[in-house]
Amino acid sequence: MKILKLLLLPYMAAVVAAAFLWPEPAKGFIGESSRIVFFHVPCAWTSSLAFVVAAAYSLAYLVKRNPWHDEVAHSAVKIGLLFGVLTLITGSLFASIMWGTWWNWDPRESSYLLLVFLYAAYLFLRAAVDDPERRARIAAAYALFAAVVMPFLVFVAPRVTASLHPQTVINPQGKILMDTPTRAVFFGALAGFSGLFLWLLSLDARATRASRLERAR
Amino acid sequence: MDQAHGSVLDAVLAIALKDATAELRRRTAVVAVLFFAATALALVSFAIGPFGLPPDDRPPVQAALLWIILFFAAATGLPRAFAHEEETGTALALRKTLPAGRVLAGKALFNFVLFLAIAAVTVPGFAVLLEARAGSAAGLAATVLAGGYGLAVVSTFLSALSARAGQRHVLFVLIAFPLLSPLLLTAIQATLEALRGGFPGTPLRVLIAYDGAASCGAYLLASVAWEE
Repeated sequence: MKILKLLLLPYMAAVVAAAFLWPEPAKGFIGESSRIVFFHVPCAWTSSLAFVVAAAYSLAYLVKRNPWHDEVAHSAVKIGLLFGVLTLITGSLFASIMWGTWWNWDPRESSYLLLVFLYAAYLFLRAAVDDPERRARIAAAYALFAAVVMPFLVFVAPRVTASLHPQTVINPQGKILMDTPTRAVFFGALAGFSGLFLWLLSLDARATRASRLERAR
Repeated sequence: MDQAHGSVLDAVLAIALKDATAELRRRTAVVAVLFFAATALALVSFAIGPFGLPPDDRPPVQAALLWIILFFAAATGLPRAFAHEEETGTALALRKTLPAGRVLAGKALFNFVLFLAIAAVTVPGFAVLLEARAGSAAGLAATVLAGGYGLAVVSTFLSALSARAGQRHVLFVLIAFPLLSPLLLTAIQATLEALRGGFPGTPLRVLIAYDGAASCGAYLLASVAWEE
């Protein structure tokens, strides 16, 4: 495990270097703006992955009532929110270059903002309950209910109205519209960001558990 | 079927009837909700009136305003479903009597009826005061029904979830808005299509799918949300 963490740093450095140096900028985009796909989409993927992990650990908490599962779910939501905000920032950068405005209420842009609000509400809910056991139970129920709503924000809402958002990955054709170098760097970035998420999750959840055990002494 | 608890439908209807009787006795939630809806409607119509917008801009603005009024009017009354049981000390008896899923279904049914009462005042008032003409009345009616059902189910579930949390009224709006945002966005889109004269087939299908998913989620998680 430790060796994987040590390898993550050079791996991510290689992905970032390749993102700027290897694939040609995609046609139909202004300047080098298409390179944002190597950071924006992995951020969106990582935040969605984090919310799915939060739902899985919430379910595990409800089944086993082990505080560790609640701590992992809580950490996953926090990290998911971090990557969600990074998705919005990188998307906004792209919008400013391509569409001349930082924010244009594109359906996909707006639905991702609402997804961030959906999980920010999880933190508000936790903060409103004092009893740790009840807090864990209510937060788990909310995280599972949010997981039911999440597909409507990620997959459905952006398709109800027309969108300017490029559809290189999620599209009606069901194909990834990228050349080979772009595809290689893109999937490399997805793997790297996923590894980064797992590392952050392990760090944060263990720190939360340590503080709980410290409080219990 | 669990004979000790009677049939599911009987239990659901009994809870809805109990809430309706209690509400008709007190009338606080109904009066507060309808008063809020009337005030919001008066404010909106005073602010923009029927002719305050160019004709082409009216349908999108009207569709959004209608659902904002409906959402906030509902948010003043629907969250009381479980909080009232906690305040009056009847929650424990109810927990011992019926499974949480049936209690939630009964309360959601009452909340849906309450929403229809809000809509019965708001939608015609909106049409008169803002000169909003629905090109597809059937489309608008179906949207209000499907949107109202989802709003009632999710609000009831969140009411169970936040019944014993601190600052629950503020908390309810904070957690309800993101969870209901796909429903509200789709309902606004469906209303827009209905105002423009077309039947909102696609948005209605999305609304019905949301309603189904939310109903299953709420029913399955009811016992966890309302555990002692």
